[in-house]
Amino acid sequence: MTDVTSDGLTTLAPERGSNFSRELRRAGRSMVAAKWPVLALLILLVVVIVAIFGPMIAPLDPNRQNIMLRLAEPMGEGPRGATFWLGSDALGRDVFSRLLYGARISLLVGVCAIAVGGTIGVVAGLVSGYFGGWVDDVIMRLGDIQLAFPFILLAIMFLVVLGPGVINLILVLGIGQWVTYARIVRGQTLSLREKEFVEAARALGDSTSSIIFRTILPNIVAPLTVIASFNVASVILAEASLSFLGLGVPPSVPTWGSMLAESREQLIANKWWLAIFPGLAIVLTVLSFNIIGDWLRDFLDPRLKERR
Amino acid sequence: MTRLRHLAVAGASGLLLATTAAIAQPADDTIVVGLSADITTFEPANISSRDNANIARHIFGTLYTISGDGEVSPDLAENLEISEDGLNYVYTLREGLTCHDGEALTAEDAAYSFNRAKDPANAFTGNTPGFVFSSIGFQSAEALDDRRVQITLGAKNPIAFGLLAEVYIHCKDSYEAMSLDQAASSPIGSGPYKLASWAKGSEVVLEKVGEPAKMDRIVWRIIPEASTRSAELIAGNVDIITNVAPDQIDAVNASGNAKVQAVQGTRRMYVGFNLSEEFAAMPGGDAIQDPAVRRALQYAVDVPTICKQLLNFECVRATGIVNPQNANQSLTPYPYDPDMAEKLLDEAGWPRAADGTRFSIRFQAGRGRYLNDQNVVLAIAQYLEDVGLKVEVDLMEWASVYVPLIRERNVGPLFFLGSGGALWSPLYDMTDLARVESGTNYTHWNDERWFSRWADIAAATTPEETRKIVDEMLQVFYDDGPWLHLYFQPDFYGVSERVDFVARPDEKVYLFNTGLK
Amino acid sequence: MWTFIARRLLQSVIVIFGVTLISFVALQIGGDPTYLFVSERATEEEIAMVREALGFDKPLHIQYLTYLGNVAQGEFGNSLSYRQPAMDIVLGALPATIELTIFALTFAIGLAIPFGVFAALYRGTPVDGGIMTMAMFGQSIPNFWLGIMMILFFGLYLRWFPISGHVPFLMPLLQGEVATAFSNLPKTLYYLIMPGIAVGFYSLSRNARLVRSSMLEVLGQDYVRTARSKGLTERSVVVHHALRNAWLPVVTMVGLEFGFLLGGVVVIETVFSYPGIGRLVFNSINQRDIPVVQAAVIVLSLIFISLNLLVDLVYAKIDPRVKL
Repeated sequence: MTDVTSDGLTTLAPERGSNFSRELRRAGRSMVAAKWPVLALLILLVVVIVAIFGPMIAPLDPNRQNIMLRLAEPMGEGPRGATFWLGSDALGRDVFSRLLYGARISLLVGVCAIAVGGTIGVVAGLVSGYFGGWVDDVIMRLGDIQLAFPFILLAIMFLVVLGPGVINLILVLGIGQWVTYARIVRGQTLSLREKEFVEAARALGDSTSSIIFRTILPNIVAPLTVIASFNVASVILAEASLSFLGLGVPPSVPTWGSMLAESREQLIANKWWLAIFPGLAIVLTVLSFNIIGDWLRDFLDPRLKERR
Repeated sequence: MTRLRHLAVAGASGLLLATTAAIAQPADDTIVVGLSADITTFEPANISSRDNANIARHIFGTLYTISGDGEVSPDLAENLEISEDGLNYVYTLREGLTCHDGEALTAEDAAYSFNRAKDPANAFTGNTPGFVFSSIGFQSAEALDDRRVQITLGAKNPIAFGLLAEVYIHCKDSYEAMSLDQAASSPIGSGPYKLASWAKGSEVVLEKVGEPAKMDRIVWRIIPEASTRSAELIAGNVDIITNVAPDQIDAVNASGNAKVQAVQGTRRMYVGFNLSEEFAAMPGGDAIQDPAVRRALQYAVDVPTICKQLLNFECVRATGIVNPQNANQSLTPYPYDPDMAEKLLDEAGWPRAADGTRFSIRFQAGRGRYLNDQNVVLAIAQYLEDVGLKVEVDLMEWASVYVPLIRERNVGPLFFLGSGGALWSPLYDMTDLARVESGTNYTHWNDERWFSRWADIAAATTPEETRKIVDEMLQVFYDDGPWLHLYFQPDFYGVSERVDFVARPDEKVYLFNTGLK
Repeated sequence: MWTFIARRLLQSVIVIFGVTLISFVALQIGGDPTYLFVSERATEEEIAMVREALGFDKPLHIQYLTYLGNVAQGEFGNSLSYRQPAMDIVLGALPATIELTIFALTFAIGLAIPFGVFAALYRGTPVDGGIMTMAMFGQSIPNFWLGIMMILFFGLYLRWFPISGHVPFLMPLLQGEVATAFSNLPKTLYYLIMPGIAVGFYSLSRNARLVRSSMLEVLGQDYVRTARSKGLTERSVVVHHALRNAWLPVVTMVGLEFGFLLGGVVVIETVFSYPGIGRLVFNSINQRDIPVVQAAVIVLSLIFISLNLLVDLVYAKIDPRVKL
């Protein structure tokens, strides 16, 4: 990353193209050398495929109830000769099908929340760092206000008020993340704004938005990807916690977190499959995101020490 | 590495120590109850929730008391005379009563207990001023002499006696000396137990100070999470738990330490059809205006299966608004017959469209209030979808989102609700629909064949005559009523093998006579 | 430094103003609490009366300004559901949560440091692999699920630990009942083990990884290599050089982690029926008990702000490069 900025000294804007494919090859080699990230990437690939094609693979309608066949064990007999591969839940819905559909929503929530939070955070951070002054003050104080309070309580407050729903959940979880991005971007922008290639762009008469988004932004993407991958992991966990409190998605929308939360009443009755499968899906996905995040951090900059 | 080994050894021995230490199992003179909801106050005139009232009843005496099967017995009072016009109730207190601080409890104190609850300056909103007084049109209470207190009502009311038996009695001097804050946290009662300690959100400890009381101490623990509650019961740390989750009943019964007692409660669960003009303009709201559609939907839902599968309880489907003992005995519950439902819907002019849908409708419900409510609502929605409706389930946070909608009679077109009932009179259950404008007529039902009959009931002179009118009204309600009949909510109590508690059908947990086996 | 502190305190006033405003508006527009305080058969007039008594009939900004005025005089209003001073209720629930948080923090940081150090020292060995695998999983398991599994396994099956509940230590201590407090202490700790671990496990995992990488970095620095090459024992290298320089991030960690854990208690307090502030706030939000929510918001923000301030000060003290 740091050498990209020194590139910028001579080329004004960092060059893509051949440079990029070389980087990609280097990334591939580093990944294979580290071994675990390859596995993590494979897992995530499977999750993404399931998220996209899940509805086509799913043997049963994930919301179709059958209370006569509720709490069937894995491989148990389903409706009309079908099989509950991973058992059925408290309303006789197919756990396997819900898991497949759940991949889509869980991933969607995770990624969209990061997109929302990231976008707000990046713009706020860029503006804050580039302009400084009172704009900076206002934005950073807003961030302080938010960080001065446990996020989960703010999330609870807004979800109680807004009511549960996928969009609300994404917004709340996303807004919960923006400060992290804003702070990092601001810091980077502050240091970049005095750099010569930025000065040069300014001297050439580039518009402010072009300087911010074309010249500065590409140079701070790398650390953001690291945080983003850790963040997806923590957002998936946060979704599970909110589901536990009854504030997640509506019950007709399957997510891994809500499935796990629903399983809690059944654990004492030993209906293990209700917890194990969504639990495993969450653990593996979150684990993969964390591993990728670790590797990305080491790969992009061994000295980059950002929390979360 | 040796350090690590030391650590491991130390850790293991710590765990061993822990296993040998006895985990708080109740002592022989103590009974421990696990409640699902938090309790908020001991101000007698502000108590309203069931759990709160259950604890408070041990601290405060009442004039009379009604047992689980409806039997009346004296408590603080030993005699009652009701005036000819039914407006004056004169209670005679027992001799030698005292409050927990030693003050003698006289008729003046009893009258004060009523009047204090009514005083607008106190802005009390509990069961006594909010429900009892408004139901009976309470006027005033006054002491006739040392032991006789007279309660004056606004209008004759056949159920006033039972309601007056819910008012907590306490002494005057002690409560006049306390601020409202103090009264809320340190009650000075008149019952067999006094409040020993209250750790908010955690536990309430009562200590025996009088009779009837078998145990020296009662500990009420607040354990909101159902699994945790069941685990505590199975582990033997708690003697009685309320609201056992239906799917955990088998685990409790199989533990050998405790058994679940299931009682059919009196709370009437139903799906309401909101028939107001406003809702008639909504999708599906127009369809349910037609009694034939409502009747068709009765056939679409398999209530006994819902009970058995989701509530772990064998139930007979309700036939109306009144508890089974008082119901019109000639009515049989609607059977589950989806084909019939489809046929009737076709006939009513709502055939399936090309996509298989007859009409869409919103189904609103609160969450976390009734037994397994979320799953029951989803299951009902599925049954309705099976006969061609497109149901949009809208589950809401109970207390501050759903309740306001209910109170404003602004919920629907379909909504899920339970309404507390009673066994002593069909009229108690039916008064929910006393007038078209009644606050409890959540469906805006306005069938003259029901509402015009209240005048007939008032005019009726014999019980038989009343019964006949009641049966006719219930027939109308069954045929063309605004409810999709469901069931009477069962209550599940987990009871340790250690104690001889017997659950009652009215959600009351009174432990005066509960002891060790 | 004093100007720094003064500026921070001034900022904190703005911050507290902000959070109370946000929570106030959010709760007010999100539902009418009046109905929670009237009986099922209350008439329209009765409802209107109660609404007036509770002050919900006035315009929002008037309600908020009234509230602010009262707060300025140290008057936080009465809880709507408990009918007692809201601040008393919040402060009554706070000690239990502080106990839980400190226990979880001690558990998390106390184990994260040795775990991280060992993993770094034995990099690539099964010790490292084992610790890091545990840490990875610890960061991937939702805490409520861990809590329930612990209840079922350690509480119900093995019967090692109490399943739920709380024995107060700080509360009697603060009330001056020192003897009671200390006689309670063993039980307090015993009851804290399961919820404490459930709250702290995520932090333990995250920080073990953090310590490990920070340790690895230090071990790779020139001065450590020099020390090694001078023939110092591995132990003395670790203790005198590596640890001394690796503990800086730990200070920040403690401060941030405390706040993080405080946020995580909401769920765990529910699972373990633990009478703390997390559950109180959650219930109060659901009940629209605005005074309690507000009081809690103020208290929690104050704690957060002072912690951050403290961390900055300590940081400045131990790291000469940081100037306030």
